[in-house]
Amino acid sequence: MTNAQQFYVTLLLIYLGVDIIAALGLNLQFGVAGIMNFAFIIFQSAGAYAYALCTLGPPGPGNLLGAGFQTYFWGTSLPFPMPFLVAIAAGALLSLVVGAVILPRLRGDYQAMAFLVVSLIATGVATNQIGLLNGANGLSLVPKPLNDQLQLSFFDYGWFYLGLTAVFCLIAWWFVHRITSSPLGRALRTVRENEQAASALGKDVRRLRMLAFVIGGGLAGLSGALLVGFISAWAPGSWTYAETFVYVTAVIVGGFGSNLGVIIGVLLVPIVFGELTRFLPDVGQSGWIDAGQFIVYGVLTLAFLWFRPRGVFPERRVLYARPMIAKSTPASASPEGGAPP
Amino acid sequence: MNLLPLFIGFGLVTTAVLAIASVGFTLQYAVTNVLNLAYGEVMTVGALTAYVVNHRGGSIWIGLVAGAAAAAIVSLLLNRFIFGPFARRGLKLFGMVVVAIAVSLILANALLIIAGSSNFSYQFDAGPTFRGLGMILSTEQLVVIGIAVVAMVAIRVLLTRTKLGRAMRATATDESLARACGISVRRVTDAAWLISGALCGIAGVVLGMSVTGWGVFTDQGLLITIVAAAVVGGIGQPYGAMLGALLLGIVTSMVAGYFDPAYRDVSAFVILVLFLLFRPQGILADVVAQREVVT
Repeated sequence: MTNAQQFYVTLLLIYLGVDIIAALGLNLQFGVAGIMNFAFIIFQSAGAYAYALCTLGPPGPGNLLGAGFQTYFWGTSLPFPMPFLVAIAAGALLSLVVGAVILPRLRGDYQAMAFLVVSLIATGVATNQIGLLNGANGLSLVPKPLNDQLQLSFFDYGWFYLGLTAVFCLIAWWFVHRITSSPLGRALRTVRENEQAASALGKDVRRLRMLAFVIGGGLAGLSGALLVGFISAWAPGSWTYAETFVYVTAVIVGGFGSNLGVIIGVLLVPIVFGELTRFLPDVGQSGWIDAGQFIVYGVLTLAFLWFRPRGVFPERRVLYARPMIAKSTPASASPEGGAPP
Repeated sequence: MNLLPLFIGFGLVTTAVLAIASVGFTLQYAVTNVLNLAYGEVMTVGALTAYVVNHRGGSIWIGLVAGAAAAAIVSLLLNRFIFGPFARRGLKLFGMVVVAIAVSLILANALLIIAGSSNFSYQFDAGPTFRGLGMILSTEQLVVIGIAVVAMVAIRVLLTRTKLGRAMRATATDESLARACGISVRRVTDAAWLISGALCGIAGVVLGMSVTGWGVFTDQGLLITIVAAAVVGGIGQPYGAMLGALLLGIVTSMVAGYFDPAYRDVSAFVILVLFLLFRPQGILADVVAQREVVT
């Protein structure tokens, strides 16, 4: 493998891991608990900025990483695993605040709209308040974890980071799997399908929603930290509201509510379709490949919602006893019979 | 020099654009219950059509009509081929909002590929500048305000004096009851998308006339302000949307003038979030509720 190929492969696989963690988080909110979080990307971004601030060191003239060209309101340098934990906490904490304001009050279109606008406000503030997080230029030269201690070559470090991402990915998958396959996961699905029924069974609907939202936010924060830890730069341009839609598409294509489906969705949407678009001939305006990617995502979403609304790998219907009416309504038990009425 | 009247003057121009756009948005939402987040892109279709006509030698007025027609057709096609079928089938768990965002992204990026990211401006004779009451307004800005007033009067006449307007109001209030009364809901829905699209196209052209340069992202950037005006006025209420447009137009101009132009859009977003959280029914809710009881 040439160096360029090596770099491309490691980068792509790291992106895959990061996207899987993020999509698992969104799936917990959107797929399992039914929250239309169109501000998902800001929680990823919160994790990325938290990681950057916890590794760049205090701002000011004495700091070699930040002196002169970037300003930010606060910073410190923490040893290896700490910045990742702070990033998870940042994502979860921001989710707690945003969720506490929006979730109890708004449903449906209005909820989606509120999240969308929160995402836009966050981008607007981060872009215009230069002193906060260096504005539109964003933070750069973010240190890579353990890079100084390991003394690896650039390409070997890529493989090391891929391993690190894989470990975090496995932990995230195990954690989410434990939730979705537990009674808690069942309760969350009940809230999604029928809020009143869940409430009547004595489930605290508000608390359940909030829980899924905050855990999803923590996973988003982790994915942001892993991303910025490798690419070393983070700016408002990397987290416009449209980026959330990439994950929404992955969840819909893969199969909402299904953790395995989401992994397949991430493999298909940002990786296969996203990268294939890059190999299209360059015929139009400059930058039309990026535009083409979003057209592909949009078309995929519409096509899947129309032809296969439960995704490639649908959520498994868990049956706890032989349904007595199974013969009369076979559609309700088969995974593909979920075409909405 | 007292800047307040000056900013109010600019605010009135923004209000004019917003009023045309948000009345179209809210009218369509009231009748069809679809949150059309692709509205900004339809606006751009109108503006670009007018640009093409204008640069082939047509006057800006022919461009305005062509832009309105193009946007109306795109709006109708979106309903016929995407929103309508999805709404009839019903989307379990996913709101139409996912579909709307998908359509918006497809259209926005298609327009970006077609038109590029350069800035456009219309060619027309800029008339003299008028000063009065401390405001400074150019002829085209006054024309923009005039177009908005005409459009608002036309909508008022449509809704109160015509059979179609009554059918639209009936469908918005209770679709199945309207159907039972012999109203063709399908035709009313088509009409709503057409009228909404036409207003959207006019707003796009008028916005292009009132600024020095605009691109494919200009209208998209205004979308949330348009939605904010509609929500402030109580979504689905055309007169409320006019009032919302006035509030948003003046406030965003004040913020841009006194504070920082970069926060113009952010101020609109904040107003929208506050209204969604604390008064989602809009400012006119009580008035409307009372009138419904009376009439």
